[in-house]
Amino acid sequence: MGTETSSFETSEMLATFLASTPLLSESWRLCNISNTSTPRGFLAEQIGDVGYIAFSGIQTVGNSEEPSCRNLVPLMESDGNALFIALHRLNEGEEPVMVHAGLLQLFLSMHSSTSFQNQMLALKEKSKSIVITGHSLGGTIATLCTLWLLSYFQSISSPLQVLCITFGSPMLGNESLSKAVLRERWGGNFCNVVSKHDIMPRMLFAPQASFTQLHFLLQYWHLSMNCPRFGMLAQLHDEDKAEIFRLVLCHLEVIAQAGEEVAKSLFWPLGSYLFCSEEGAICVDNAVSVIKMMHLLLMTGCPYSCVEDHLKYGDYVEKVSLQYLNQESFMQADIPESSYESGVAISLQSLGIYSQETVARPVKDCLKTARRMGLRPNLNAAKLAVSLAKINPYRAQIEWYKASCDESDDHMGYYDCFKLRDNSKKGAKVNMNRHKLASFWNNVIKMLDNNELPYDFNRRAKWVNTSQFYKLLVEPLDIAEYYRTGMHRDKGHYLKHGRERRYEIFDRWWRERKVSVDENNKRSKLASLTQDSCFWARVEEAREWLDNIRSESDPRKLAFLWENINAFEKYARKLVDNMEVSRDVLLKNSSYNLWVEEWSKLKSQLKKFSPQFPDYVNGEVVP
Amino acid sequence: MASLNLGENIEIDTELIKKAYSLAVKAHSKSSEKAYNVEESRRSSDPVIFSFSGCWSENGWYDGEPFGVTEINLPLLFPSLRSIGVNENALVNKAFLQRFVDKILGNSDFDREVQKAVKKNKQILFIGHSSGGSIANLATIWFLEKYIKPEYNYKISPSSPLCVTFGCPLTGNHIFSHALRRENWSRYFIHFVMRYDIVPRILLAPISSIKLEFQKVLQFLNAKSVNLAHASIDNFDASNFYMKVMKNASSVASHAACNLMGNTNLLLETVSNFIPLSPYKPFGTYVFCTGNGKLVILRNPDAVLQLLFFSSQLCREEECTDIAQRSLQQHFGYDNELQDCFQMLNEVHLEPLEQLPLSSDTTSSDIATINSALNDLGLSTRARLCLCAAGELEKRKIGNKESIDLKKPDIEKAMKYLEEDYQLNCRHRDLGCYDAFKLQETSKDFDANVKRLELAGIWDEIIEMLKRYELPDAFEGLRDWVLLGTRYRRLVEPLDIANYYRHLKNEDTGAYMIRGRPKRYRFTQRWREHAERMPAESSGESCFWAKVEELRIKISSQGFEPIKEEVLLLEAHVQNWINLGELSGDVLLEKSTFKKWWEDLPREHKLTSCIKDLKVRKAVTEKKQILFTGHSIGGSIANLATIWFLEKYLRSDSPDNYKISPSSPLCVTFGCPLTGNHIFSHALRRENWARYFIHFVMRYDIIPRILLAPVSSILLEFQRVLQFLNENP
Repeated sequence: MGTETSSFETSEMLATFLASTPLLSESWRLCNISNTSTPRGFLAEQIGDVGYIAFSGIQTVGNSEEPSCRNLVPLMESDGNALFIALHRLNEGEEPVMVHAGLLQLFLSMHSSTSFQNQMLALKEKSKSIVITGHSLGGTIATLCTLWLLSYFQSISSPLQVLCITFGSPMLGNESLSKAVLRERWGGNFCNVVSKHDIMPRMLFAPQASFTQLHFLLQYWHLSMNCPRFGMLAQLHDEDKAEIFRLVLCHLEVIAQAGEEVAKSLFWPLGSYLFCSEEGAICVDNAVSVIKMMHLLLMTGCPYSCVEDHLKYGDYVEKVSLQYLNQESFMQADIPESSYESGVAISLQSLGIYSQETVARPVKDCLKTARRMGLRPNLNAAKLAVSLAKINPYRAQIEWYKASCDESDDHMGYYDCFKLRDNSKKGAKVNMNRHKLASFWNNVIKMLDNNELPYDFNRRAKWVNTSQFYKLLVEPLDIAEYYRTGMHRDKGHYLKHGRERRYEIFDRWWRERKVSVDENNKRSKLASLTQDSCFWARVEEAREWLDNIRSESDPRKLAFLWENINAFEKYARKLVDNMEVSRDVLLKNSSYNLWVEEWSKLKSQLKKFSPQFPDYVNGEVVP
Repeated sequence: MASLNLGENIEIDTELIKKAYSLAVKAHSKSSEKAYNVEESRRSSDPVIFSFSGCWSENGWYDGEPFGVTEINLPLLFPSLRSIGVNENALVNKAFLQRFVDKILGNSDFDREVQKAVKKNKQILFIGHSSGGSIANLATIWFLEKYIKPEYNYKISPSSPLCVTFGCPLTGNHIFSHALRRENWSRYFIHFVMRYDIVPRILLAPISSIKLEFQKVLQFLNAKSVNLAHASIDNFDASNFYMKVMKNASSVASHAACNLMGNTNLLLETVSNFIPLSPYKPFGTYVFCTGNGKLVILRNPDAVLQLLFFSSQLCREEECTDIAQRSLQQHFGYDNELQDCFQMLNEVHLEPLEQLPLSSDTTSSDIATINSALNDLGLSTRARLCLCAAGELEKRKIGNKESIDLKKPDIEKAMKYLEEDYQLNCRHRDLGCYDAFKLQETSKDFDANVKRLELAGIWDEIIEMLKRYELPDAFEGLRDWVLLGTRYRRLVEPLDIANYYRHLKNEDTGAYMIRGRPKRYRFTQRWREHAERMPAESSGESCFWAKVEELRIKISSQGFEPIKEEVLLLEAHVQNWINLGELSGDVLLEKSTFKKWWEDLPREHKLTSCIKDLKVRKAVTEKKQILFTGHSIGGSIANLATIWFLEKYLRSDSPDNYKISPSSPLCVTFGCPLTGNHIFSHALRRENWARYFIHFVMRYDIIPRILLAPVSSILLEFQRVLQFLNENP
């Protein structure tokens, strides 16, 4: 796709696709049964190859029956059995993943029950794919259950597919949770059905909703779910409804208007949202747009509908499931000329919004943003691939520089050549290329930080391999520059104080990549690039230790230096023995080789004057 | 005589279509023994018509869950039915394929009768109604693979076949459709579909979803095929069947539409894993009969798929039972409908798709005809948007092709540098490009590396597009790109291999051929193999160096004996490639890795090796003069060898010429018979080549004169003379 604004609006088409499958109607059927027959529990059923598990919407959260308030807990700390291990990985600078404490507790206690374990086991054995579903609070538990299954399946590399379908469920966790899910490429495994006015999924945006009102609301819903007639028994007053409606709407407005800049909400949408109305449905996945849409749609509701809509999912699901049979007829007389605008018009109609309504304009804008946000990452990735091809020659030039240094008569290798370079054109050019490459990769990292790239970008082999190669080739030059300009004297050594963030990120990509080749095949020749890109930084530190050891007199400090030097020697020897260093390391005048010579000289001196260092020579430290 | 214009220079006589339909329906009722019929009229201009009968059993449609498809893995029968670069075979309905292979090809009469028609230079029509149409499709493809050589023109030669089907079920998947478009064959297929006819839509539903009703539907259709009047089906079954097929069709269509429109939601992918989505995709030209005398023609496969779904949607819920009945009855209603249509001959081409009117009450006059046709098919705005999206996608593919065509000069420029400057530079160093590049000793090598990277960037982009099917289907069959790809591969892949082994990437990741070979070379190799109808994996000349490197490593660790077979194979290849000019002669230079490696092989092996005499190329590359010589007939052979050499190395437009300017050859013969006629002589003088030939002739030597006598006049003695000559060498 060449342009950022594609010519089609597809949120409604995706909803049509979902509605044409049996997944929605089967899920709802089971949720409904579960509401009436297994309150506070769940039920499982097998339909063809697909296993379904439905959590009842009737659940008791904590003691207060109160799902609101700010009781979020960090997932990592409450997850004693590491059920959600995949979500524990964090990007630095990010808030920890937080989830609703009460709901997490509910799930954990369910998870530990034998009946749950047995039914899950049976389902896993018989099914090719599993749908986890739930209405109301049950849906949020279903979300937790899905997160657990996805983590578990990932850890055992299971091919089983999992899909979570919730109906009118409150939010589960914070923005970090939502981001972590996207990073794992699980965003497509969650489909939250939210009816136009239902207040329940929007409830947690209003932190201070009064306890009593909520209590009555839940009671009313639970009674109605269990048996529609009983709903009358709840003491739910019109004033309470109005108060809650007002509160939620008002908080939603603040959050929706803050947009992307400040995530003011504790809770954050996760996965895709299927908004349905009497007229149809649309499906949106961009979190900011989801919040905006929730706000805009609630604006068209009233205190009565916002409570009743929570109980009407059966009607909505049936309606959208039968839509496929009929040609849609347009209520609106004038259909826009452009294909994009008419797609938007169809979406609006599916939401039951007339073009004259005041929300029509902002809803359109919201769809537009969602669309753009959806397309951008892939476009950016494609553009990056093109600019990568353009900067490749710079990298080739550095390779060329390395080869010519490694072969030159001064036997120094490219690290030392670059470190000790004069003002020649060659060195300056390489330095320039180094800067160009650095700015390219810094830009990649920046885009990743800003969510401007596909969420699985750092799992794509092309990028993992290229970044690794870049790191191995160029980081030694960065280290050389660092010590050449004496930065280590101002800031401290490179490893602790000078290493650019990009290299640490590339380290992680490389560690987390999927390894398919057995790595134990031994090298027959020296590697073309030293496999530890920080090797030279370690050499620099070892040099300093060696210098210090001569002047140091404090035995405690001396012991420390000895230990360090020995550790480095062992490490370096292992690299060399495994041929994981490139030839430049072993050249006659390389810093490393000079260090080795000096070190062995010192050791032989040491032997002569061994009485001076009895502790160390007789101890284990010195061989 | 009226004829129906189908676009792309194809017109068919309407009488012929009507006749085809009646023959196609008649085929059902003929004895079940023979699965096809031939009809040949006495008039020589009329085509020979092969008609195929349908099948009315569930197994004859769905052989296996959920959609009864199988991978076509018949490289001899259907070598083209696959996606070339990504190397994936097409899927086809298993039962239809089985039926075609067993009942039609298994019948030796069929092939014979086809051949007979071809010899008479008659056009062949393959026709079928219902599943007989699918058999006709396969028969046509078989015919195309066998008789029509790939040509790059757009005219139909007189003997091109045509395939005409009526209410034909879908037959193959998206690769099937892609392959037919790539070969430019899809224009030979014309499918007539009634607006509500359910049969072309059935395979959009998995068998599990329609199991209950399908049996009854087949019974009904079978009864109807025998006796049109006396067949009926329960309203309840008909409605259920219609609704279930439509529900599945809706899934397929909306899923496809999401992709056409570029939806990026990951949910789309997840959900597709939960439900069986039909893999079938239309191909060829579709002619939809609206039911009121209009014919709507389109050929974009994505658009046809959408239209199959949308055109049989209901206007009002109440008409469900009625439409459900019609969806079955119409399967046998083509004759009346076509009769009406051909009287008016009111055909509408849905083109360009991306400019279709989105609103049903468009009043603009220039698109009024199209709009009313769309209304006749009951197409809502949503449906029209889907058709537009299909058109936009095709347009985008063409745009992509244009944008990479614009990069051709860049490719040519970089390749020219490598072909000329760099090769010349290497030659001065007595090195082949491979070895020079692997050593990376001069700045020229660095420049070459930059060119290599530039080219890789461009080609990788093309390959990415192909993997995502973002280029026009025809792309992998385009001659200029196949040629450019082959040239690129032969020129640059050795450099990639050199780079790979120079950096010892084989130790990090494994052998080049297994782990390291970039897709840009795998794809381009398959292009050539397909274009020239070569066996798979047989055009590996560009990986020569990788094979050498791997053999070197193997020999150094295992010794010669265990890999002798591999060495022999490589040598045979080398001989062949060098003779064909597919591999540069510089591999034989003294300093080349290959030569050095080969020289180290055991002496006994070298003495019998097939490449020990591979000298001509070598002589050329070493700029030595070559002398061709021969006595008696040997002299004539020497003459021909010399001419071959001159054509190959000295003609100014020879591809080898600019690389090396070899010294002129010399041909010296003794008592050589005459070799060619006056034009032969004239041509050699014109090229100024005659001066290279020197013939020694003894005053009375008869041999140079023999060919002046006709063989009949010397028949008796000639035998004995030859005997004498042979005995006294």
